[in-house]
Amino acid sequence: MIDGRPMIELRKLHRNFGATRAVDDVSFEVQRGQVFGYIGPNGAGKTTSMRILSTLDLPTLGDALVDGFSVIDDPDRVRRRLGFMPDYFGTYANVNVREYLDFFARAYQIRGRDRLIAVDRVMRFTGLCVLAEKPIAALSKGMKQRLCLGRALIHDPAVLVLDEPAAGLDPRARIELREMLRALAAEGKAILISSHILTELAEICDVVGILERGRLLAVGTVEQIQAQGQTPESLVEVRVLGGAGPLAAWLAQRGRSRELRTNGDALAFLHPGGAEAEADLLRAMIEAGFRVVAFGSRRRSLEDVFMQVTRGLVQ
Amino acid sequence: MSEPPQLETPLTAAIVLPAELAAAPGALDRLLARIGEHVNPILVKETRQALKSRQFTITFALLLLFGWGWSMLGPAVFGPEIRYAPKGTAMFIGYYLILAFPLLVIVPFSAFRSLIGESEEGTYELIAITTLRPSQIVSGKLASAGLQMAIYLSAIAPCVAFTYLLRGIDFLTMALAIFFTVLASLGLSLCGLLLATLTTEKHWQVVLSVVGIIGLLFTFMVNCQLASGMILMGGSAFGQPGFWNALAIFLMNYAGYFLLLFFAATAQLTFASDNRSTRLRIAMLIEHAIIVASLAWGWLETDFPPDLFAVAALLLTLHWYVLGACMTAESPGLSLRVRRRLPQSLLGRAVFTWFNPGPATGYVFAVAAMLGMLAVVAIAAQFHPVSTAAAPTAAFRPPVGRFEIAAFAMLCVSYLTIYLGLGLALIRALRRICQVRRLLAILVQVLLVLLGTIVPFTIQLSSPELRHLDYSYLQITNPFWTLFEALGHWGVLLTYDLLWVILPLAALLVFVLNLPAIAREVGQVRVAKPVRVEEEDAQQNALQPTRKDPWDDAFPASDGGPADA
Repeated sequence: MIDGRPMIELRKLHRNFGATRAVDDVSFEVQRGQVFGYIGPNGAGKTTSMRILSTLDLPTLGDALVDGFSVIDDPDRVRRRLGFMPDYFGTYANVNVREYLDFFARAYQIRGRDRLIAVDRVMRFTGLCVLAEKPIAALSKGMKQRLCLGRALIHDPAVLVLDEPAAGLDPRARIELREMLRALAAEGKAILISSHILTELAEICDVVGILERGRLLAVGTVEQIQAQGQTPESLVEVRVLGGAGPLAAWLAQRGRSRELRTNGDALAFLHPGGAEAEADLLRAMIEAGFRVVAFGSRRRSLEDVFMQVTRGLVQ
Repeated sequence: MSEPPQLETPLTAAIVLPAELAAAPGALDRLLARIGEHVNPILVKETRQALKSRQFTITFALLLLFGWGWSMLGPAVFGPEIRYAPKGTAMFIGYYLILAFPLLVIVPFSAFRSLIGESEEGTYELIAITTLRPSQIVSGKLASAGLQMAIYLSAIAPCVAFTYLLRGIDFLTMALAIFFTVLASLGLSLCGLLLATLTTEKHWQVVLSVVGIIGLLFTFMVNCQLASGMILMGGSAFGQPGFWNALAIFLMNYAGYFLLLFFAATAQLTFASDNRSTRLRIAMLIEHAIIVASLAWGWLETDFPPDLFAVAALLLTLHWYVLGACMTAESPGLSLRVRRRLPQSLLGRAVFTWFNPGPATGYVFAVAAMLGMLAVVAIAAQFHPVSTAAAPTAAFRPPVGRFEIAAFAMLCVSYLTIYLGLGLALIRALRRICQVRRLLAILVQVLLVLLGTIVPFTIQLSSPELRHLDYSYLQITNPFWTLFEALGHWGVLLTYDLLWVILPLAALLVFVLNLPAIAREVGQVRVAKPVRVEEEDAQQNALQPTRKDPWDDAFPASDGGPADA
């Protein structure tokens, strides 16, 4: 980070389309090397705010800054620093992979030998070298996604804005994309990524922002969001000999655990507190005479948090 | 699930160029590569696409086929006569028609479709966020149209050379016919690009496509008739007095309007917070200067009919009304980006403020240009030898004097000032209660003129007493009837002498009405650059120092200055 300046900063961003508030007072920051997951249901305003950030639209109120430059007043400086991968391909007919990347390298004023190197570097990074001479129309969806990521990377931007990059990809392609994003973040790029596949985002994002009906409901790590307004909870799974019914009754009597679900010898429930609280609980179970054969816990997933924060409202 | 792949190369890793890229090319390749670096990226991409496209292949093949076909059919039709009779003209007209269709229909429509296609496929947005300037996008598309033209021309060139050998047509006629067609094709391609920037809505794009193709076919037919006439007339036109001067004036005006359309298309693609107006206004001023220069040439030509000054004034009024309506439709607020570059000095503010974006400055710009025209026409009429002698201009018309021409020009200026000013005030009022987009603002201006025309006309038609009367003061708000009546019967200006008193006074009143808005826009002052921008500019200047003067010691003599750096 240079001078502690965030690479992406949204300041009270608003975007209205008539009476519809597509983006309503959204503010957050993304630091260098950070991956920010932007999640929300369809129509939440993710794409609109990403388009504003990419200088394709203007906000009604507020501003968005990339490396300290306003998208309203200095779009040219923002464009030099930002690579945008929209949720559509945007490819040309009668052009092959190398020509496509070469065109965008030229469009970013990369000249001579530097351009050859940039195109080659991006093709290697995205694994498109073997398809260099292949017409774009003949590429699979996954390869087109790679090509679009390559296009966004051609001028080596410090900021990447990726709108649903994993949509429609098969599991292998998704894993490969995740690896690429990890590598890019490790190089110090700030990445803003939106996706509906929350398990994917949970694995690569340092911070998430949850958006619904244009409003940013929560920002932070999954743990931070989970902790907002209530004690953090873990999902505890226990297996006891002799059936889980008595243990469920015992836990219900204690009153701290909730959402208890039994299945034969197995019991799952939400328990407040961290590892200390779980250790205390296990000791209390054994002291109470329960024959515990398995005790495990996991933090609540991004999906759990998403469901907790959002209310399924659309506009 | 499979093992995640190992990335071949991180982005920051050093790249070793593949052998075919790293190999040192020959001198010619190096030269071509160096030239290629300076070619517009859009042109490179479009050329790669076009040469592989089915549309280009089919058009080129058909052009060749028809060219060869006419080469065989023509001599077969003319028979043995072709050996001794000059049949070059007839053969050339055939080849011209074959060439004109792709040049006047296919190429402009391809330019239009090319930009519309970018919008449909979503690639325009990808280009828009690169560092390409809008002017590069438009010029790249135009250059691509030019390249296609060059290829079609090269295909038909041997046939054209063949017609020259057949005699009956001179080189200059052939060259001019092709030259005008190329100019028309470039102009139409630019119009196509401008049309393509007007909307991103699918249904409007379809409407524009239909209108565009009909317009192109119509232009093709008109052009073919005109060109055939010119070819048949041949070299006899070149010797006529004033032909080359008229050609020069035509070319200057073509260049002026071409520049205007180019900047209009560029402005349409420019980011909303950027300055879309200044270049357009400079182009307007250049075109205005060209028209005034054309008038001056007319003044110098002693056989130039004096009432053509009035016709020129009328055309300029129409010209500035259209431009003025577009300028008064601009947004009144200046973005911080534009305000960073406002002129600061008194002289700069006095001269250059009118080039800044804004409806009120646009209004003043249009009125000032028309006042300039009024001055030129008045001076020209004053000193024109024919008009001072009050010679008859036509057998059926009374003589026209210097007063009538100057008064007519004043009426033109007054109508423009009144209607644009009232429209501006109305748009300003509307903006207080709702959002007024550019198209709506232009519509307000047009509706105002229509109301001023239709209302008195309807009153006169619906009144039994007035129905049979000719022109009267009732029609004072009707600019069309008033001006055409004056142009047709110069006596009107003397009979209805209040016209040239009331209308200028009304114009002055409307101008004063708009003064507060003008003052507000003129009062905009420069704002400082944001700190971050200053920082980056300072960094870049430190990396690329510029020599301010020959004694600048930032560049020691040994390092050779910035070129070496």
